[in-house]
Amino acid sequence: MSLTVWTVIFTSSNDAFGYSRESMITYIFLIAFLQSIIISSSLNGLASRIYSGEISNHLLKPLNIFALFAVQEIADKFKNTFFLVLETLFLFLIFKPIILFPDYKIFLIFIAWAFGGLIMNFIISLLFGSLGFWSPQVWGPQFLFFMILEFTAGKLFPLDILPKILQKIIYLTPFPYLSFLQIQLFLERLSADEIIKHSIVMIFWIITLGLITKIIWKKGLRSFESVGR
Amino acid sequence: MKKLRLKTYFNVWKIFGLNALQETLINRGSNILFMVGKILRFSFSLIFLYLIKTTVTSFAGYTSDQMIVFFLTYQFIDLTSQIFYRGVYVFSGKVRSGEFDFLLSKPINPLFRALTGKPDINDAIFMIPSLAVSFYIFSKLDVVVSWQSLLWYLVLLINGLLIVTTINILVLVIGILTTETEGIIWIYRDLSSMGRFPVEIYMQPLKFILYFIIPIGMMITIPTEVLLGINPSFSIVATMLVGVSSFVVSLKLWEWALKKYSGVGS
Repeated sequence: MSLTVWTVIFTSSNDAFGYSRESMITYIFLIAFLQSIIISSSLNGLASRIYSGEISNHLLKPLNIFALFAVQEIADKFKNTFFLVLETLFLFLIFKPIILFPDYKIFLIFIAWAFGGLIMNFIISLLFGSLGFWSPQVWGPQFLFFMILEFTAGKLFPLDILPKILQKIIYLTPFPYLSFLQIQLFLERLSADEIIKHSIVMIFWIITLGLITKIIWKKGLRSFESVGR
Repeated sequence: MKKLRLKTYFNVWKIFGLNALQETLINRGSNILFMVGKILRFSFSLIFLYLIKTTVTSFAGYTSDQMIVFFLTYQFIDLTSQIFYRGVYVFSGKVRSGEFDFLLSKPINPLFRALTGKPDINDAIFMIPSLAVSFYIFSKLDVVVSWQSLLWYLVLLINGLLIVTTINILVLVIGILTTETEGIIWIYRDLSSMGRFPVEIYMQPLKFILYFIIPIGMMITIPTEVLLGINPSFSIVATMLVGVSSFVVSLKLWEWALKKYSGVGS
């Protein structure tokens, strides 16, 4: 849908919102691809697995449970990527976007940032899953998270077309680091200073969210009870 | 000829509604966040449309104000179907667990129970501000609407709701045959979200699919075109024919699927 909408917008003009037709189509194409990899997670059902006591089967085993979740997540990503490549090839043939690859140094940073986005989403999913230690009703916060993500991660439109005040608010959250900034980097729309700044902020978010998740998980484990499994 | 027992069904639906309301009140925290999520989605979509409005004067032959009317129609139909037919989302679980057996043995049409058994109170509450904002925005738009086109719009909206009902019945049929509906519901949700924009902007064969296979275009695009006085992509008669005939076919398919259903002896 996004590809069609932007294609239609650019039929009447070659430039809109500071993007050329080619760069916008490339943006939408790449962000859809990257988001499908980064944002999908095998941990979406974690809260109900915790609340039902199913998690106790794993807790009793001599395994690091986070390592287990990470392996499950990687397997899930591979499965999704396989279908995503097929879907992307199909869309590529229809829209024929001109993908301009950046300089190899930028591309390496892009890969690192994409990996950072994966880790951040994994931690956020764990954080929401941890709420299952206290309540099975995590769909409310999860729905809100996905709604915010739908717009603030830049899937339908790039965030830099929004009014400045909205952009400032969104940049105070970790959401732009889940795919929007990676694509901005890929399109070489960030200066060297901005790359350094966003790299530091991304690391800050990963560490902060990681610590919060660790604290909540520990608290949850202390109050966790399970019988008869 | 069977008596319709409308009052009985209304009373039964009222009980479903009250049960759903109680459930919502128990999980207040989650439901408030859910509501905030809905408001944010609505707001962001409107912001996006206004951004388009400030930059692009024409969108595939439609004005930016007309684009907003397409979105508001989508919002209304989507929300209405969520309010009444949320039960469809949990139906496959009932087939798998055998709970559907209980619905079959009650003196209430099982289709009515499966379709409307879990009204969405969140969406019902959200409908009030959503309608208020929609009317306000509509009153500010530069569009001309005649009484005649408004009347046909309302008729076609009812036809659109009939098509939504048909699609939900077909999901139930798939639920009985395969005991799995989650995937098909999300495909439908993704396709229906394309109705936020007029179906005319999409390329073939997607356009054909959105008019005739999963007729989002008949549900949203045609009524809005008629309201705005735009020559509709398909005639009103054809649109209503699609609505009524697909509804009849879906009822036949439901009856057929029921005969294929095998209970688990709950």
